[in-house]
Amino acid sequence: MSKTLLTEGDLTAVDTRTLLTTQGSVTAPSLVVPSGVKSIAKILVAVAAEGLADGSATFLLRLGGNAVLNGEQAIIVGAAGRIAVQAGSDAAPQVGRLFELDAADIEVSPSDTLTIAGEMMGQDLGTARMVVTLIFA
Amino acid sequence: MKLYRSREGEATGADTKTQLTTLGSETAPGPLLVPNSAKKISAVIVAACENFAAATSFSAFIRLEGPGLPGGPEVFGVLAGGAAVATGGNAAVLAQTIEVDIPVTVGNEILIFGEMAGTDIGQTSMAVTLVFDK
Repeated sequence: MSKTLLTEGDLTAVDTRTLLTTQGSVTAPSLVVPSGVKSIAKILVAVAAEGLADGSATFLLRLGGNAVLNGEQAIIVGAAGRIAVQAGSDAAPQVGRLFELDAADIEVSPSDTLTIAGEMMGQDLGTARMVVTLIFA
Repeated sequence: MKLYRSREGEATGADTKTQLTTLGSETAPGPLLVPNSAKKISAVIVAACENFAAATSFSAFIRLEGPGLPGGPEVFGVLAGGAAVATGGNAAVLAQTIEVDIPVTVGNEILIFGEMAGTDIGQTSMAVTLVFDK
């Protein structure tokens, strides 16, 4: 039987490890691994930036905490880029499609706590938003 | 079970081999060594995006090299793009997973390089995760 855990948050600075600890209206969801599971079987991530600054960047998901048995796992999940528009023009929006990592197979310890962090790496594109779903099995 | 090791960086010139050595807030993570219990690389996860700073087209690829790869270097195309004008480009790109079966030598280093080919569009941010099976 699968169990899910979702966290999200803003990445407001480049090259800064930012904990994702909220879930919209649930401001402090439990980050404890459900009992009875052995692994993170699948990971879903969507990320995009507001594009208020020029540059290019990549995005990283860090899964750690004492629940991850083999130490922190660092997984690339996306990228973005932006250059200024001509005067009088508007920029197109960024749409962060869902990155799906099947068979993630990351060993976890039930009833221990995860840390879920995101990073924007490279250049600062303005605030980015990341949402992460972990599916346990 | 699987282990995930990543590096990232910027390719800033066309036809220039650039080693990816950092990981965001970790500015000096050190050599990427094959984990002690790893049997092979089962997948490579890649995300890349250009900054649209020049009106041109390009492609981009990554190279895996080093003593951690007993079968020798491997190369993967990861991105191509172009811009008609050097203004207004804006994009978000999701990562791609490339399933592979690459032998490794435990405890040895794997070097990851990014490279743009064609003409210089400005720069391309590139990030790579090596997925090791244990």
